[in-house]
Amino acid sequence: MVSRSSFCQRFAAGVGGLPTSIRNGAARAGDVGRARVPVVAGRVQLREKGVLVCGEEVGSLKTQSRRRWREGSSSSVTVSTNAMSAQLEEEPAAKGEARVILEVQGLRAVVADTRQEILNGVDLVIREGEVHAIMGKNGSGKSTLSKVLVGHPDYEVTGGTAIFKGENLFDKEPEERSHCGLFLSFQSPVEIPGVSNMDFLRMACNARRNARGLEELGPLEFYGFVAEKLTALNMDPRFLDRNVNEGFSGGEKKRNEILQLSVLEADMAILDEIDSGLDIDALRDVANAVVGLKKDNNAILMITHYQRLLDYIMPTYVHIMEAGRIVKTGDMSLAAQLEAGGYNAVQAMKM
Amino acid sequence: MAMAAATGSAGVTGALASSRQGAAVSRISSHKCFVPVNFAAQRFRATGKGIGNFVIRLEFALGFFMPGLLERWLNGWYGQLGVGTRATIAEAVKSEASGAVSGSLRDQAEASFSLSKDPGGPDFFLLDLAEKLENSVPSEEQGDSLGARALAELRYKSAEQALNLRWPTNKDEAYRFTDVRFLKNLDIAPTPAQPASVPNFESELGLGETEAFRLVFVDGVISESLSKVEGLSGGAYVGSVCKITADSAGSALSQALEYLGKPAAGTQDDLFTFLNGLGVQDAGLVFAPKGVQLSKPIHVVYYSTGRGGSKDGEEVTSISLATPRLLVVAESGARVEIIEQFVGAPDQVYWTNQVCEIYVANGAEVSHSCSQEQERSAVHIKQTHVSQGEKSTYKLVEAEVGGRLSRHNLQVIQLGSDTQTEFSTFSLSSKRQVQDLHSRLVLDHPRGISRQIHKCIVTHRLGQAVFDGNVKVNRFAQQTDAGQLSRSLLLAQGATVNVKPNLQIIADDVKCTHGAAISDLEEEQLFYFQARGIDPLTARSALVFSFGAEVLQSFGNDYLKKRLERLVKSSLATDGVVNPNVPVGQ
Ligand SMILES: Nc1ncnc2c1ncn2[C@@H]1O[C@H](COP(=O)(O)OP(=O)(O)O)[C@@H](O)[C@H]1O
Ligand SMILES: [Mg+2]
Repeated sequence: MVSRSSFCQRFAAGVGGLPTSIRNGAARAGDVGRARVPVVAGRVQLREKGVLVCGEEVGSLKTQSRRRWREGSSSSVTVSTNAMSAQLEEEPAAKGEARVILEVQGLRAVVADTRQEILNGVDLVIREGEVHAIMGKNGSGKSTLSKVLVGHPDYEVTGGTAIFKGENLFDKEPEERSHCGLFLSFQSPVEIPGVSNMDFLRMACNARRNARGLEELGPLEFYGFVAEKLTALNMDPRFLDRNVNEGFSGGEKKRNEILQLSVLEADMAILDEIDSGLDIDALRDVANAVVGLKKDNNAILMITHYQRLLDYIMPTYVHIMEAGRIVKTGDMSLAAQLEAGGYNAVQAMKM
Repeated sequence: MAMAAATGSAGVTGALASSRQGAAVSRISSHKCFVPVNFAAQRFRATGKGIGNFVIRLEFALGFFMPGLLERWLNGWYGQLGVGTRATIAEAVKSEASGAVSGSLRDQAEASFSLSKDPGGPDFFLLDLAEKLENSVPSEEQGDSLGARALAELRYKSAEQALNLRWPTNKDEAYRFTDVRFLKNLDIAPTPAQPASVPNFESELGLGETEAFRLVFVDGVISESLSKVEGLSGGAYVGSVCKITADSAGSALSQALEYLGKPAAGTQDDLFTFLNGLGVQDAGLVFAPKGVQLSKPIHVVYYSTGRGGSKDGEEVTSISLATPRLLVVAESGARVEIIEQFVGAPDQVYWTNQVCEIYVANGAEVSHSCSQEQERSAVHIKQTHVSQGEKSTYKLVEAEVGGRLSRHNLQVIQLGSDTQTEFSTFSLSSKRQVQDLHSRLVLDHPRGISRQIHKCIVTHRLGQAVFDGNVKVNRFAQQTDAGQLSRSLLLAQGATVNVKPNLQIIADDVKCTHGAAISDLEEEQLFYFQARGIDPLTARSALVFSFGAEVLQSFGNDYLKKRLERLVKSSLATDGVVNPNVPVGQ
């Protein structure tokens, strides 16, 4: 559920798919379940059952101009509310216009124990159907960014925002972020001796189903459900009897992460170096599995050092991260330049 | 890696790691509490020649070595390894332990007694108890069947030995962390041999007759009516020692009696062994002749009614004492599976002081499951004395979840080469529970293989676990392959564990590994669950169950395994540590 203040903040910041050109004086969300409201710059008001919940000036924010550049055209907005929650939806009017899944702004984070600053102002917008790649030298903060987004306790957010599907990620516990459909495939997944993959997957699957108000799956139903996923991923069912990641090879661990991704049916997958430690065949399998899970209404953020993975999972954007910030954004050609000349060549280009 | 010369028998002993989670630990590490000992897989490999002069080469799989380490090691203090503050913890625990128990004049008197060479006068409490135990054996039990005579002899010898010993205190190394002195403040009432009326508890145990032969002790005496041993064949015997008559004189069965009360040389004495021998009213015998494989496991149930025990509110005033005893003899090539289960009448106050002697002849195999499910006011003291002939196998899997004090002295003595020995043990200490395992494996012959895993969970600040794991690889035990691993999980502030893994290696061509870790649950693992949408309580629960599952899963009997899993879960749930509905290990 969205808190009111965060809703307003988001609204003001033009987050959550709010188009840049706003036509009307105010965006109103009445107590009607769903209303189509044309919006222009000015005051944005959100009402619940006739009561003004919040109002905020929508100015010509910097982000909006940036977005204008990115998005090109405008569209109308569907604001739907009920007494309990407010949700922003956007109707893609023009081609290339999709709902924003994740918007990260000015994200700063430190290591909780040492206060060492690692992320210093990350900006990133990811829309449905997009694939983003982050590249960058070791130690530039790529894994930290992904772990901060899923709420790893080692880090503390010291600034900025991250809005996922219209909700403030940092208001949520890690498990709630997962329930919302955010998934991180860890660079080095931990081993959990004594807990079978089957039990683990079922607990995870039912946790998300619970959160969505769906019935839990019993062991048999779940087996049917997961068997399908295994087939789709071309994985051996014996995987289920093994303990989570215990004694798995590098490739098996990555496959297992992808299996979890497919069981959780996440909307946004962050894949942290799913290609590291894999031989060519394993890489192809894992990449194909990811491509198979790709849909128009989900998104992928992958972290990699290598062009090869990008060749399988064609990214819409390639970002380069350096010292805790995204310093350059481009398309596949950026990766090609990297591959050819290394990070120094790209850095030189930057100026 | 380092080279060092040591003169004499270069025993590598030591490793005292004590930790109280909370106070002491937090001094060294922040929130992770993954401290005291973590020397995974060190390999000792001693090479060299000469009499009484060995050159020892220590190879560390971890690849680290600190100067001066060897000396400290030889002084018996692994404890210093790596973490400089460990001694502080040990000291803290030590001072705390002694602080908790010293103070009374009586203690001081005891201390001065045990310091003098001559114990200086008898232990009147012990004399008194010995007398009570002697009187508890009815005269008709002292009949003259072959078995009864063997028992009488055992009582006589045990009395002699018991009276040479004193009640253990924390000044005795073996009882340093385990307080057994509170028993001296109780009125100890040996249970009378007259049969007790017993509720229908066997149905609850669930192990059907089809699954196992059953031998039931009620208050230390075998109950003929509850035991079911029909269908034994091939000269095998399961039953009371007293029932072995003169008719069987000279037979293999009567020979088996020779092992009663005669553990292999090198077995360490313990007062409680002799107290058992002194008061033993009956003993069970499981006998498998040469080459015979018993068709079903022998399920031995020790049930205590608690007759004579009483409580005044929480305070125990008197405790009933039963002294059951079991002898297992597997002749060469025989195969036996024993399941020992310790239970008692609900909420009763009793003490089970048991001895189990197991003789595994050449090429024989004994697998032994032990389930300690005593009532929470009960005291459970158990000796297991095993001797293993050439090419024999002994496997123990044990879970200790009940009792107020549970002490198991497990000793295995190797009598020939190429033996296999496995211990998988698990203990759970909740509020006011002490679970103590002292295991000792003595290898005197070549090519023995041993594997030991001990896991304990302490869930309450008033809970304690003690583990002393001794493996002795003597001079002729070349090419021994011994592995020992101990893991302790502390789930409450102030929970205590005293772990003392110790390897004494004299042979020079051996492979020994050991490791000990004391920890809270690992945060990375907890986070992994959370990142997959599983809430922290469920995640903790799954991790805690899975911690114990490694041992519980090795129980051969499915019913017992499930039963123990349920017991563990409900105990953990009572302490609020877990959510019992987590679908792990089902
Ligand atoms: N938990 C942590 N504690 C201390 N330092 C950390 C921690 N996590 C990351 N770092 C440091 O932050 C920097 C970025 O790490 P990381 O995000 O893993 O980089 P990348 O994934 O880009 O290689 C590194 O210098 C790393 O040592
Ligand atoms: Mg990384």
